[in-house]
Amino acid sequence: MDQFGLLLDGFASALTPGHLLWALVGVTIGTAVGVLPGIGPALTVALLLPITFRLDPASALILFAGIYYGGMYGGSTTSILLNTPGESASMISALEGNKMARAGRAAAALATAAIGSFVAGTIGTVALTFVAPVLSDFATSFGPPEYVALMALAFVTVSALLGPSLLKGAASLLVGITIGLVGIDSQTGQPRLVFGIDSLLDGIDVVIVVVALFALSEAFGHLLTGTGHSTVQPLRERAILSRKDFRRSWPSWLRGTALGFPIGSLPAGGAEVPTFLSYSVEKKLSKQPEEFGKGAIEGVAGPEAANNAAAAGVLVPLLTIGLPTSATAAVILTAFQSYGLQPGPQLFSESGPLVWTLIASLYVGNVMLLVLNLPLVRMWAKLLTIPSYGIYAGVLVFATLGAYAAGGTTVDLLILCALGVLGLLMREAGIPVAPAIVGLILGPLAEQQLRRALTLSEGDPSILLSGPITVVLWSVVVLALLTPAAGAWFRNRRRADAPSPVR
Amino acid sequence: MSDVTETLPVEQTGVTDDRRTVLATALFGGLMLVAAVLVVVDAVRLPETSGIVGPAAVPLPVGVLLGAVGAALLVRARTQLRDARPGSRRPAHGALRVCGMVAALVAFALLLPVLGYVVSSAALFAVTAILLGAPRAPQAIAYGWALAALVFLVFDRLIGLTLPTGPWGF
Amino acid sequence: MEQRGSPAEQVGTEQRTRRWTRWVPWTVAVVATGAVVATTPTGESHAGSTVQDVLGGEQLRIMAPAAPGGGWDQTSREMQGALRELVGRTEVYNVAGAGGTIGLSQFVRFDGDPTQLLTTGLIMVGAVKANGSGHSLADTTPLVRLTTDYQAIVVPADSPLRDTADLVAAMREDLPSVSIAGGSAGGVEQILAGMLAKAVGGDPAQVSYVAHSGGGEALTTLLSGRATIGISGVSEIEPQIEAGTVRALAVSSPERLPAVPDVPTLREGGLDVELQNWRGVAAPKGISAEEERALEGLLLDMTRTREWRDALERRGWGDATLAGPEFEDFVRSEQERVSRVLDEIGLG
Repeated sequence: MDQFGLLLDGFASALTPGHLLWALVGVTIGTAVGVLPGIGPALTVALLLPITFRLDPASALILFAGIYYGGMYGGSTTSILLNTPGESASMISALEGNKMARAGRAAAALATAAIGSFVAGTIGTVALTFVAPVLSDFATSFGPPEYVALMALAFVTVSALLGPSLLKGAASLLVGITIGLVGIDSQTGQPRLVFGIDSLLDGIDVVIVVVALFALSEAFGHLLTGTGHSTVQPLRERAILSRKDFRRSWPSWLRGTALGFPIGSLPAGGAEVPTFLSYSVEKKLSKQPEEFGKGAIEGVAGPEAANNAAAAGVLVPLLTIGLPTSATAAVILTAFQSYGLQPGPQLFSESGPLVWTLIASLYVGNVMLLVLNLPLVRMWAKLLTIPSYGIYAGVLVFATLGAYAAGGTTVDLLILCALGVLGLLMREAGIPVAPAIVGLILGPLAEQQLRRALTLSEGDPSILLSGPITVVLWSVVVLALLTPAAGAWFRNRRRADAPSPVR
Repeated sequence: MSDVTETLPVEQTGVTDDRRTVLATALFGGLMLVAAVLVVVDAVRLPETSGIVGPAAVPLPVGVLLGAVGAALLVRARTQLRDARPGSRRPAHGALRVCGMVAALVAFALLLPVLGYVVSSAALFAVTAILLGAPRAPQAIAYGWALAALVFLVFDRLIGLTLPTGPWGF
Repeated sequence: MEQRGSPAEQVGTEQRTRRWTRWVPWTVAVVATGAVVATTPTGESHAGSTVQDVLGGEQLRIMAPAAPGGGWDQTSREMQGALRELVGRTEVYNVAGAGGTIGLSQFVRFDGDPTQLLTTGLIMVGAVKANGSGHSLADTTPLVRLTTDYQAIVVPADSPLRDTADLVAAMREDLPSVSIAGGSAGGVEQILAGMLAKAVGGDPAQVSYVAHSGGGEALTTLLSGRATIGISGVSEIEPQIEAGTVRALAVSSPERLPAVPDVPTLREGGLDVELQNWRGVAAPKGISAEEERALEGLLLDMTRTREWRDALERRGWGDATLAGPEFEDFVRSEQERVSRVLDEIGLG
């Protein structure tokens, strides 16, 4: 058991008082920013990035991992209490969780979310320990053609699952891809969609787009609807699960974890997809399906577990292939690179002790998070008794700071503002913003990999199907394309046979 | 996945869109058409390079798709507009407040290098809070100034991220 | 909102709490502002009078025209450390993107301000040309060249190519079939690739060059077995050469490098190619000759500090100090050479 010994070494360094302190700081900041709607771990890590390169890499990465996990925990709190997901991955938790909170069961909802996150995070981190090194070997065989197939898979799964209407989802995705085109083309050095503005040469920062489309558009939405006074449901119970709630929760935690980790660890998986899947699985398996939509505890437990297991899973491709599958992972990738560490096949051989320290600190962070969250749930909720006008004014100050810190110019702030208006329009039109972020992150990667592959093969497209991995991946793409179509066909037939009175 | 989407409260399905959503969709479709033209024009302008797949290889199809999806959104909005139900009532001056907010953000962007971080951010905070309905303006200014000063203290002084300063040094 | 307690009771409590909480933001604002004012940096003086006269008591600000962690950022931060004992606190800030041309376009606005410095180098010369940027190093006052890093040509460990002669043969036989993985478009690696093609008698525009955002990413493509050769900075690739993941065919230096003494130069392999990824410092245009001399003197003093020597050792950078008219001539000749190569590649 080689990695076990390495992990113990990792624990030895993660448990030094200094690193422990950074882990504590990380989970505290992470939970706090996760609780604040609009400020997620991605923005926080991005904000801290220019600051933390003064720390030694181990401390900084431990800090970031703590923020990452902490944000996942904290995000569920706003989802449940405010019906305002702190981030896209905790959106599903708002469905049942907020209904529970309105029914005076906020404590149970928060508790099942906190314990579910802990269970999933712990199992996910254990899996990360033993699967990541194996995947690391496997990743060396990934060249541009494999990445092209992988990106195709990402587009098929993620985009198909994120939108209520295919057309609107596609519109959002395309807008994201278009934003991703802005800047210098990395293969030829040609500026694209720059219109002579120097600040656009390097493209538009993902962080700016996320802040604008999520936080800024939300503030604009409150202005439009005049809901700037909304406050939170009061929290009256103790955050303890009843025996019945626990009995209903634990299978959902495990199912959510089982869905979350593998999908999250797929470089194309992400953290949102498994929460959707988990929600529909729980609804299908529940003995009380009629409770769904009215506050079913399984509908919080499953997606929350899936969300956090995916957060661990997302680190697998990040550590082994260097592929970010979430906005936060993208920022952590930047963090890795700013320390001159290239995540990828060489990471374990080049910076092994550091990686094991990071993994060990994830365990530590998980325990700290449970300790922080369960007893302090009331305190976190108090943070949300600030009226919305205070929260969003604060969000704006931090968002502009984030935009300014990322680009350092007035133009970045104007772009932020313009994208915020675009986000408001999308909100009003019922167009989901998440696919835009997906397109923005995946689009440029897919384009560059495709063009690299075709350059390598001198334009011969058969390179895209060379090697066993590409064939497998493309088969999965075809399957993923066919399954929803087949499902829809069956549903339509069933509906045609017996018109359902449900809706 | 339709089970999930049907229960999402925030997202409307095509059948029950209200008038406002339909109009916003049409506007978004129109914007996509404009973007499509920009993308295609920009891609055509790109010079031929020696590479097998040039820089225009991806923008061209993206531009065409943008146009197609934008047109589809417009067409669908046109057909839905007749059956659309009126939207829920909203307080007056909502749009005006959004315009005020945008103006405040633009002013912030332009004045930041002149007035420095603390003053601009405190003003931005106060304006946002007041536009969102903060009851007491002096309190909003005080909170804004406190937050901005703390941020400046932590990020500029403590951490060394250079924030813009006004003639008074902060 | 549901109401808690009787209305009268609630109002009473609220008033009592409001009486003191009302003053919290004001107090915090005053205290924080006081702290900001109290910590306003003052111009410290450590150095001789010439530099101090030039700076006029102001802090030296160094722009690193790249993201944190990149070569220019590292250079700037090492300079910051080494300058500490000479001029006290200096400030380093990043304006990332587009091979330094975004930073350059902002830097040219500091016309005549001797307290502003820009870290620059070969990559910026290439990017200015490749991006068609409106500004070039001619819009600055080049001060000194500081460091250099040569390029290594590497192949996967199981590649059939054994030495430079094999590579030359392969490139002569079918140039486009020799795919080359390296860094960003128009960067050092692509310039070297174009020079190689030319040296073997091929057309640089025919090179199958695969650009990557960084050396590590390029290495992944190389190791997947799909690229024929890779080009990377010696200091960056050296651990991989040592680990045996890749084999080095040649280095782009005039003589063998102490870091990899077993690797022959391109000249030894019969190719008249030499390329160094140099980095240096420039000041804004329009500073007086006196100011220029003072700043050059300061930077030359810096290269003699212990911190700077340590930094060169730690980062694996070659010392390439060059100042004055020689450096300006060098920049001019590099601009000509690089734009010729990029024109031939088709990136001009």
